[in-house]
Amino acid sequence: MRIVVAYKWASNPQEAVVGVDGSVDWSRARPGISEYDLVAVELARQLAEATGGELIGLTAGAKGVGAPIACKAALSRGLDRAVIVEDDSLEGAGTTELAAVLAGAVRHIGDVDLVVTGDSSVDVGAKMVPTVLAGQLGWAAVAEVTAVSGQPGTLRVERTVPGGVQILEISGPAVLAASVDAAEARLPGMRDVLAAGKKPVEHLEIAALDVPARGAVVTVKGASRPDLKARKAQIFDATDPAAAATELVTALRGSGAL
Amino acid sequence: MDFDLTDEQELIRGMVREFAAAEVAPIAAEIDREHRFPEELLPKMAALNLLGIPYPEKLGGAGADYVSYVIAVEELARVCATTSLIVSVHTSLGTWPIFEFGTQAQKDKYLHDLVTGRRLAAFALTEPGAGTDVAAGKATALLSGDEYILNGSKVFITNGGFADVFVVMAKTDPTKGARGISAFIVERDTPGFTIGEGERKMGIRASSTPPLFFADCRVPKDALLGGEGNGFKVAMQTLGGGRIGIGAQALGIAQGALDASIAYAKERFQFGQPIASFEAIQWMIADMATEIDAARLLVYRAASSKDKGHSSATEGAMAKLFASETATRVAGRAIQIHGGSGYTESYPVERAYRDAKITEIYEGTSEVQRMVISTGYLR
Amino acid sequence: MSVNAWIVVGDHPTIGNLIAVARSLGGQVTAVVAGPRSVAETAAAGGVDRVVWFGAPGEAPVEAYATAVAEAIAADPGVVLGGRHSSERVLLGAVAARLQAPVLTGGHSVSAEGGEVIVAHSVFGGIAEKIVAVSGPVALVLDGGPVPPASAATPVEEVAASPLSMRVIETKMSAFEQVDLGAAPRVVGIGRGLKAQGDLVMIETFARAAKAEVACTRPLAEGLNWLGKDRYIGISGQHIAPQLYFAIGISGQLQHMAGVRGAETIVAINSDPDAPVFKDADYGLVGDLYEIVPAITGALS
Repeated sequence: MRIVVAYKWASNPQEAVVGVDGSVDWSRARPGISEYDLVAVELARQLAEATGGELIGLTAGAKGVGAPIACKAALSRGLDRAVIVEDDSLEGAGTTELAAVLAGAVRHIGDVDLVVTGDSSVDVGAKMVPTVLAGQLGWAAVAEVTAVSGQPGTLRVERTVPGGVQILEISGPAVLAASVDAAEARLPGMRDVLAAGKKPVEHLEIAALDVPARGAVVTVKGASRPDLKARKAQIFDATDPAAAATELVTALRGSGAL
Repeated sequence: MDFDLTDEQELIRGMVREFAAAEVAPIAAEIDREHRFPEELLPKMAALNLLGIPYPEKLGGAGADYVSYVIAVEELARVCATTSLIVSVHTSLGTWPIFEFGTQAQKDKYLHDLVTGRRLAAFALTEPGAGTDVAAGKATALLSGDEYILNGSKVFITNGGFADVFVVMAKTDPTKGARGISAFIVERDTPGFTIGEGERKMGIRASSTPPLFFADCRVPKDALLGGEGNGFKVAMQTLGGGRIGIGAQALGIAQGALDASIAYAKERFQFGQPIASFEAIQWMIADMATEIDAARLLVYRAASSKDKGHSSATEGAMAKLFASETATRVAGRAIQIHGGSGYTESYPVERAYRDAKITEIYEGTSEVQRMVISTGYLR
Repeated sequence: MSVNAWIVVGDHPTIGNLIAVARSLGGQVTAVVAGPRSVAETAAAGGVDRVVWFGAPGEAPVEAYATAVAEAIAADPGVVLGGRHSSERVLLGAVAARLQAPVLTGGHSVSAEGGEVIVAHSVFGGIAEKIVAVSGPVALVLDGGPVPPASAATPVEEVAASPLSMRVIETKMSAFEQVDLGAAPRVVGIGRGLKAQGDLVMIETFARAAKAEVACTRPLAEGLNWLGKDRYIGISGQHIAPQLYFAIGISGQLQHMAGVRGAETIVAINSDPDAPVFKDADYGLVGDLYEIVPAITGALS
């Protein structure tokens, strides 16, 4: 069974600095593979181990996503090899474009039975790349996946629905977005880290991937810092909990919150 | 001169840091308070290859370089000095003499289990009357037919209460001084060998440091390690290597104390400002950071020299000396920055202060390190 | 110039906000429904101009109709709106791929101007805002909401479709009682500060006194499993904007607070004076929640 895990090498917005004009400065942020992507790797890895399958890491983005340290960080997590599309034209690429590039790479890898992704990326958080990727490939897609088993052709997928879980059977190839708690990502051991550098990494040229043209033109008209509600940040001394509680309730009633 | 770490070393730092935060930090204060050895960490560290870091992969080790080893010990020490000590004593003091001086039979018997963390190792040199003065040791190992009979006691033996394999120094020729000492591999549960109660200490409280008692303890001839009369050499070379591990431990303790001080200085308000805006505190932080970085360069350099095959006793001694004295100084300043709160158990810096001191003493006191360094320069 | 809009619908009838946004664009509004007949009928009665429905799904999940939905819309591309549920995102994703249309999330204002669609949306987890103009088809993920009934209902056009080869084998409902946090005017959120599952009783007593619903941070809903997943608030869970939100034993990390930014008033209770939550709160009490929560329960009675 051939399983591709699509991960992202990206930074946490909490480390970015936003200017008054809404510009976002990522220079102080350190990119990495997010917790959610590691859950996806673990979920895929368990399936690969159960079926004797091949586990291939895939990522696409601007310069840096294919740097040796980024590849090793991914490969140390139990991937057999990595495929990278690294191109500056992907700087700030939108969901649909990224999904188109990933789809091209999946087609290039060939004979892929399953693509697993994290729930969402740490920086954009749209939760849409996996579903658009499935659309680009013409494959089935399921999100909020908590478990997967079976063989190509009879994949059993468990996913969360409001109030419970549902088990689906999928006959063809699919893109699965792992739920944030689908698996507990295991830490790589030292041997895993040292072995990562010896695993194969393939860099693909974007031009060779036959990426379709964009269907619309998006122009940025403006940017700003969010209009966050200014919070009072009023602290009540709670050494005497009963007194503090009374003060709080009085304040809440006074402001109309209660 | 390349001061950058390799990708692998960076990733190893990240992995150990994550392990330390997830598994060690949550219990660090509790095990210190209870003087409790964190047995539950052993299989978890073994699973990550942390108990055989510099040993070859084919033996079951991680096959990593010494710089990686030092980084791992540092990251553990940032969060818990005891946990880092368990690793460094097991790796550098307990396992290493067998790796370096063992016969093939001894290596086949012990190394795989030690290097994969299935069994824990300890190193028994110190006696009540023989600390720095190793030659004054009174423990004996007299040959009788096909066996050596061990008699005597050892004290402050790190990992002692939980180790399975002990490298023990005893005199095969009590008429001689240092040259009468030989090294032996003694397994727990050998008749005549008893392990006492762990010592209650000022710091590294969760470290198991019991005395050991040998009363007509018989070990087979092939338990002799490194040849008769070579025990002093085995001990000195072992301690020479262990120095870098203690330097790394001291470095980690200091770094943890600095991190805590920076966080505290930003959040503690006095006179309407965070205390981080006061020059007195800023200069303290600057001094602490600079000293720690200097210690780091000495420790990493000593490790790097070892990796390159040209380790020097002086480099190791400088690293251990400077890092340990830095740890004590930095930890003291960390409490000063925290003020009264730093003196309470609610903050981690009082533990760092108590933990730091021993790094100036064990595995060669600062006085011994100064002797080694001056000998290297005045020869 | 008015813009035509499509709404992709799965088995959740909560598309009220989508219909409102679609209508505001001034053009034709068509709902494409890949769920049960009841949802198609809710859409039909909700004020859309056309409803296309693929018939009773049988054993097929909503996701099986993704390609069919994309093909239906490809004939006349425009603005495509979808809700935040996972199956709706699958439908929308298929459409975006088919049209190679950009996808925008976090949108809070959508308008049509000179043939372009102008969207103001928050980006990067809410740290910044952007306004973009799209010329061409665009896919928007928006919050749902109940459908207010309109004056007249549109007929439901049933069309044939070949779904992807997927089927539902089993559905297991959880033991947890379901809740609609989005509709609650007051919410009590609890986090890692709560030590034992039995302590939930104290929280529930407080919530009753405050006439509030109970919600939680991710570790409690997904890791520790003390509360149902529909009570989880955060980036990957629900976004709510109640009048009053209590953050109890919650440190205030971005991942959770992103879910409650819109609350009118936030009260934080935490033993750690350095917890980030205090900067995001209107009122804060630093201390032991096991003493403070019962004290507030008492003060409310």
